[in-house]
Amino acid sequence: MKFSGNKALLLGGSCDLAITLARRMIEAGLSPILTYRNEKGRKYISKNLKDCPKKYSSFYLEFGNRDSIDLLLHQTGDDIDFVVDFAQGNFESLVAAADADRVYSYFAENVSFRAEVLKKIARIMMKKKSGRFVFISSSAAKRQNPGQGFYAAAKLASEAIYKNLGLELGNHGITTVTLRPGYIDSGRGKKFIQDHVKKVIDKVPIKKALTKKEVAEAILFYLSNSATGFNATEISMDGGLTAGK
Amino acid sequence: MDILEEITEILTEILDIENHIITPETYLIRELEAESIDLLELAVAINSRFNIDVNDDEIFLRKLRDYITEAELQNKDILQYLAENLSFLSRKRLEEIIEDRKGGPTLKVKDLISYIGNRSRLSVYGSRFFIELCKPKAF
Repeated sequence: MKFSGNKALLLGGSCDLAITLARRMIEAGLSPILTYRNEKGRKYISKNLKDCPKKYSSFYLEFGNRDSIDLLLHQTGDDIDFVVDFAQGNFESLVAAADADRVYSYFAENVSFRAEVLKKIARIMMKKKSGRFVFISSSAAKRQNPGQGFYAAAKLASEAIYKNLGLELGNHGITTVTLRPGYIDSGRGKKFIQDHVKKVIDKVPIKKALTKKEVAEAILFYLSNSATGFNATEISMDGGLTAGK
Repeated sequence: MDILEEITEILTEILDIENHIITPETYLIRELEAESIDLLELAVAINSRFNIDVNDDEIFLRKLRDYITEAELQNKDILQYLAENLSFLSRKRLEEIIEDRKGGPTLKVKDLISYIGNRSRLSVYGSRFFIELCKPKAF
């Protein structure tokens, strides 16, 4: 695969999927920059990429902390070619039971803050006239379960922002893609799958959950020059989970 | 190269208007027909070329109508209210804008020049202030 650029910012970089992708990026000759929101995340990245010293960097970015954006961009030297956005706070609650303050802060952190991050990075990319964003959404954006209303709403709102970015700046060389993975045997999904193996597998036409490596490989493809035709769009990668009734 | 020359170069490239003579009195939207995407490009180019933070709403006078409405609702003097909120523009220029506003978007090249000049001074002052802060204190 060939890439137009080298520096790849991985938002929410301390999740297993981001670390798997970072490893794959290093193999492909890219320089991943992983963000973490606390010391635990920093240590997790460091521990899991300890065999690749100097081939990646990691910086603090806390969704909701607006000062942390400028600090991050300063540390990256305003040099970013790709963004892969894994960041998403979890919030499970029935709509009629949700704490109103929590709802306000959840959307501020997961939608408004993201919009500010995208604005600033898009302006950096405009100077280069090149850039590619991949937003990692979720099959929940298409079909959510009870309790996932706010999570799905934040994902859908973020998808719309990404879509418009690709629509508005496509002719400036800046494009976006949203990937909606289904069940992944990783992170939050791993425990759910372990607890509900039969139920999960039965729902998916390909009769298996996705692996981290499969998703990382797909993301890498969507960052590559071969995938520039995919812009301002959402792609489901869920083994057919959301296709049927 | 002075600020006008730099802005002329940027606008010529963004708007593809090689044969248009740009002066401080040139209207960006009324005359050059700059669209929102062009203004975004212009903001990014100004940030890059002059190394200043650009607030798009301020430099492109996007809140002008809101400020005028706010001043009217609060029974405040419009000129004074604009001077407080658009402090990079002179009072003379604000008077012109108030007179001219019914003819369409009032943004002119000279407004960009004022903004850049103002921000550059602030930036220099900020750097000096930062250097002062970093100097070791004598006890």
